[in-house]
Amino acid sequence: MANDNNRKAILVTPEDCIGCRACQVACKSWNQLPGISTKNNGTYQNPPDLASAAFNIIQYNEVPSQENPVRWLFVSRRCMHCEDAGCMTICPSGALYRTSEGAVAYDRDKCIGCKLCVNACPFDVPRYDAENKVTKCHQCTDRTTAGMQPACVKTCPTGALRYGDRNELITVAKKDGFGTIYGENDLSGLGSIYAFKEEPKLYGMKENPTIPSSVVFWHTYLKPLSFIGLGGVVAAAAIHYLAIGPHKEKEEEV
Amino acid sequence: MAEMVRKSSVDEVLNHWILAGSCILLMITGFAFLFQMKSVGSVFGGFNIMKEVHNWGGVVFSLSLLYSMRHYLKDAFEYDADDAQWFKVAGGYLSHKVKVPPMGKYNPGQKLYYLGIVGAGIAIAVSGFAIWLMKDNASVMLISHLVHNVAFCVFVIAVPVHIYLSTLANPGTFQIMVTGMLPLSEAKKKYPKWMKAAGKM
Repeated sequence: MANDNNRKAILVTPEDCIGCRACQVACKSWNQLPGISTKNNGTYQNPPDLASAAFNIIQYNEVPSQENPVRWLFVSRRCMHCEDAGCMTICPSGALYRTSEGAVAYDRDKCIGCKLCVNACPFDVPRYDAENKVTKCHQCTDRTTAGMQPACVKTCPTGALRYGDRNELITVAKKDGFGTIYGENDLSGLGSIYAFKEEPKLYGMKENPTIPSSVVFWHTYLKPLSFIGLGGVVAAAAIHYLAIGPHKEKEEEV
Repeated sequence: MAEMVRKSSVDEVLNHWILAGSCILLMITGFAFLFQMKSVGSVFGGFNIMKEVHNWGGVVFSLSLLYSMRHYLKDAFEYDADDAQWFKVAGGYLSHKVKVPPMGKYNPGQKLYYLGIVGAGIAIAVSGFAIWLMKDNASVMLISHLVHNVAFCVFVIAVPVHIYLSTLANPGTFQIMVTGMLPLSEAKKKYPKWMKAAGKM
């Protein structure tokens, strides 16, 4: 689906981000999330991390440069909406699902609180709320299906957040001179993509994100093995019964 | 009526069916979780309740598995020359013409099956409790998830074999696990070494 014409994405251009956190506020407002009381721990970044009441945050990366000893590199962080989504793969109850726009959303009622998705996510995104149900950015699927933009994108004053056709966003960003589109191909293509002129690593982006190998192994081999294994032994038993037949007591007496 | 001998005690029969029942329930719900089978989930009234059934079914299974050790564990570790010969003729299951060596109370196939169930059972129980109770430890969760599923594969392959061999493949065997008894004449034929040890032959 990476090249699917329908797939939408949020394009983040960290270079254009001024760290105003309007996206955080808009997200809270639309999703009716409560405030979080936090402590000042020596950085302007607040809240410190994604939380059940914070589906997106601006990461304040302090990366001093030659010309600018107090340089901040802002990165708006949220669920990456991977095409190859570890959370969806491992979820045993079907609570995490793909929307028609290509985002990964969740059905709170279906969540059984097993927290497997938390451990299968390459980006440490899913959070559990007080009732032990999964929460995360769902790319405002309740807005986008109604033809609106996600709340964070709608409110962004600088165009650092843009929402639209994924292929189009990538083409435009490349035309604008952004050499690296983070997430263009990672995990078969992310739904939150980032336009960089510099190395994504400088902005604290994870290099080569992957689903844990144990989850890949389980999905690729163990799942089919359990099914084929069960069918195989049942078939083998039936063949044995017909071809060789049950134990006969009389022959034993000889 | 023919003289009967007791092969399985009452608590053994009872525990076997608790173990078997919980095991099959766990396998069905396990398959439903593995393949997100909505229809199976609906039978339990949704995946949330099915999770509770699976978790507490696991508690029953674990206790039952521990209790079964007093019945089978000692026998399962004892093998002799006849057992080696039993493997050479594949227990007589691949041909009715071969001569199967005399057996004791359990044949080595049964003994190895039991050890397999104990091994996979402990693995699936411990990993299951870890997934249930240690959700916030990422590496424990991922390793347990893997172990749980490997052991699951062992179960879904081994258990149907056990069911087949103890019913259709060996007529008369199933009722031992119902009444615990079998006719003396049959016991002498099937388990001569056990009967000799018991002084009935």
